[in-house]
Amino acid sequence: MESQKSAAAGFWVAASFGAGQDVGRSCILVSIGGKNIMLDCGMHMGYNDDRRFPDFSYITQNGRLTEFLDCVIISHFHLDHCGALPYMSEMVGYDGPIYMTHPTKAICPILLEDFRKITVDKKGETNFFTSQMIKDCMKKVVPLNLHQTVQVDEELEIKAYYAGHVLGAAMVQIKVGSESVVYTGDYNMTPDRHLGAAWIDKCRPDLLISESTYATTIRDSKRCRERDFLKKVHETVERGGKVLIPVFALGRAQELCILLETFWERMNLKAPIYFSTGLTEKANHYYKLFITWTNQKIRKTFVQRNMFEFKHIKAFDRSYADNPGPMVVFATPGMLHAGQSLLIFKKWAGNEKNMVIMPGYCVQGTVGHKILNGQKKLEMEGRATLDVKLQVEYMSFSAHADAKGIMQLIRMAEPRNMLLVHGEAKKMEFLKDKIEQEFSISCYMPANGETTSIVTNPSVPVDISLNLLKREMALGGPLPDAKRPRTMHGTLIMKDNSLRLVSPEQALKELGLSEHQLRFTCRVQLHDPHSDNDTLGRIYTHLKSVLKTYSIQHVPDGTVIVESIVIKVTSSAEEPNLKVILLSWSYQDEELGSFLSTLLKKGLPS
Amino acid sequence: MDISSDESDDWFIESLNTYKDLHVFQLEHPTKVIEWTGDKNICVAGYTGSRSEILELLLPLKLYAGENQGLCAERDFKVQHGGFSEEPIESLIHISGTRCVVTSGSSSSTLQIWDIGGDDSDVIKRTGVINLKSTSVKGCKIAPGLTDEPAVLHGSCISEVQLTEIATGRVLYTVAKESSDSVSGLQFVNACVFLICASDGTLFMGDTRDPSTCHYPLEDSKSGLHWAFGLRSDSSQSEPSGCTVARLSSSGHMLLSDLRNLQSPFCQTQLNVQHDASKNDFLNVSWAPVLDRCLSVSGKKCSSPQPVFSHRGHEMSDEAKYSGSPPVVTTHSWHQSRPKTILSVATDGSLHVWDWVDKITDR
Repeated sequence: MESQKSAAAGFWVAASFGAGQDVGRSCILVSIGGKNIMLDCGMHMGYNDDRRFPDFSYITQNGRLTEFLDCVIISHFHLDHCGALPYMSEMVGYDGPIYMTHPTKAICPILLEDFRKITVDKKGETNFFTSQMIKDCMKKVVPLNLHQTVQVDEELEIKAYYAGHVLGAAMVQIKVGSESVVYTGDYNMTPDRHLGAAWIDKCRPDLLISESTYATTIRDSKRCRERDFLKKVHETVERGGKVLIPVFALGRAQELCILLETFWERMNLKAPIYFSTGLTEKANHYYKLFITWTNQKIRKTFVQRNMFEFKHIKAFDRSYADNPGPMVVFATPGMLHAGQSLLIFKKWAGNEKNMVIMPGYCVQGTVGHKILNGQKKLEMEGRATLDVKLQVEYMSFSAHADAKGIMQLIRMAEPRNMLLVHGEAKKMEFLKDKIEQEFSISCYMPANGETTSIVTNPSVPVDISLNLLKREMALGGPLPDAKRPRTMHGTLIMKDNSLRLVSPEQALKELGLSEHQLRFTCRVQLHDPHSDNDTLGRIYTHLKSVLKTYSIQHVPDGTVIVESIVIKVTSSAEEPNLKVILLSWSYQDEELGSFLSTLLKKGLPS
Repeated sequence: MDISSDESDDWFIESLNTYKDLHVFQLEHPTKVIEWTGDKNICVAGYTGSRSEILELLLPLKLYAGENQGLCAERDFKVQHGGFSEEPIESLIHISGTRCVVTSGSSSSTLQIWDIGGDDSDVIKRTGVINLKSTSVKGCKIAPGLTDEPAVLHGSCISEVQLTEIATGRVLYTVAKESSDSVSGLQFVNACVFLICASDGTLFMGDTRDPSTCHYPLEDSKSGLHWAFGLRSDSSQSEPSGCTVARLSSSGHMLLSDLRNLQSPFCQTQLNVQHDASKNDFLNVSWAPVLDRCLSVSGKKCSSPQPVFSHRGHEMSDEAKYSGSPPVVTTHSWHQSRPKTILSVATDGSLHVWDWVDKITDR
């Protein structure tokens, strides 16, 4: 990669270099128009050692990445897309700009800090980034607004588009000169209750890079997922049990609250629903972020009903956890690794009438992760064991694009090439065929660590002078047609920032040069007993029989002319039979001239 | 999201009590066929547009998680294999014990034979054709043979029905009946005995060991009606004594007959249905494989007698709300082993998997 910082027609992409063939992390390198861009910098959540980080030695063996990368772009705050960012910027070393949307900038550090705490404090790991490193990393962040073109430098520009999926998630268009790439990150094409669907204009990028984790799935509707959620909560509450829903402070919580509130109202339910105080504190901050990020339609719905004033949902006090009877509690943190949600969990775990609903992914090492793996006995502090008798439910609400969604996005953006990352090539041949046939574009599916080269066909616009155009028209042939290339003769002048095509005469005039004419001469000796004139006549006849398609003239002044080639015959008085044939031709007829001289050297037929 | 009296929201809230499981999916293109290719796999195929996709889908694993259902988040269908057909597909059958499916389309005069594929590739490839005597816009009706050697019973009209060996293309049996009546459906009862239902409701029973076929016309045959049929047998190698045939007309007339006495149905009833001549294509009647004496009907709206359960999911979907006319269920299929699980598909591309609550027995 170090040697490939050169401009070429085309660019290349390398995805997720480092351990693991499965979907674990997103980290893609694109080299386009001489610029190197890193797209996402995720952590592989399945590994406990250095294999979880991308292998940056792929970029350079010599440590710091600043001079090799023009910028880093982060699509959204999920750890498999940004988890390795502080490691990369502070431990490996990168001081250039890191681009992400405003909500991503606000939420990333919170998630990274949570993640750091679990990994270092709970699991006692040492080779990991510190809190200060997270802060230093975020100082390098340049926030992006949707649909706003940002000039990274004179040649490289980027633009963010709405991706749906989670708050702040963006798809990014990267443009250098006339070449462009769009990277989707994670996105969804079916609108969510509060997030809407991804959208991009017909920007016709040379390449569209899309995640393909869910490319071969057909997703169950959001409504049915919500239905199951309500069903589980209802069943538990009906039998007198308590429901704990550990949530991340910012995100899915609000949506689930609204869902429950609507349901409680409709079914006239009486069981209390609580919202832990940690959530309400951050709620306003989240609300502001959200309102500026989301679109008009959704904003109106949220403004109509104040998101944080619920009729049935009240603030939680820790003493309520001991109250008898059914209740529902939303508490942080989301992975049950510490704090209030873990405290409540410990109190309620022993009763099989209760339920815990995990609405998202849990990092290894957390109680959340353990119970989702079916563990029934947990080791707590002080060697105490906790029996997990309550019902554990894993419900995923995250929105991803499936096979249909990918096709919709391609229809929207109209890329010239397609690249799918994080899928198994063997299992996606049908999708590749489908894309190639429906859109007549190439579809690439590189394995992790593999480099794909994309060849582009950039068009270079050039102004043509009217005179030259008229001259070309006068030559006849088919009319100019954008779809039919036509060879023509002219001079290209590149001056300042313009490219112009003019006739050679015009070019000479502009440059103040005079045209040089080149003529070649050649003498061929021949033994011929005839007179000079007769020899010339024989030459004429011979040439006429050989060069049937050329214009050959026998001029009375004693020359034969073939195109621009002039042929004369002379002889000396002493040796009248030794003829000297003089050939002369202009540079343009070099080939024919050489041919004639070779031909005549062979002599004339008798 | 807001508290509204939206019918669709009501239906979803009601569904908490009326369904045990409910999964709603949206296929890119609607299908008229659902065919089981394994315990957990089905094949669907497009019928709109000149080029159609055939897909083999794996059912959501959550349905099979049993006690661990809570911990299984897998509620999506997985596209395991896919292929392209040059024509809209009207029928699709799977040859049991193989990875072979046969399709019939609305524009060609051949049956297409496909290999669904294994683990090494996800592409469904065409491996051969069977030439037909003619083309039918409604597609040739097909049914898998139940012998060891893969064969397919096919025909669009009675006189053209024949049994063809797939590997060789050899014709193993022809129906010796001069009848130009069109075939509504056909099926093997066991390795040798088969049943054909004509569009006018006449039943034909044949045996591949015997060149003659018996036919049983309806006593009171009204013209202009279209009949569909569903066969119930205890196993794929049944004797006729264990089989019941249900016939349903487009005007809602339902007849149940025992194969030992096809002349006189043992039970008749009249369902109150919308009579709409243009929508007979999707009339479908099936027997529940596990539940006793339970029949399902789709493709027509039935108001009486009161059914045990009525699935209104397709009308209530978000997609249906925005389209002009409500979607029509094109076909449905019972799960092979789960007693009350049904898969249904509709003209808007929706695919539902549902398991209803029997208010009497399940409470």
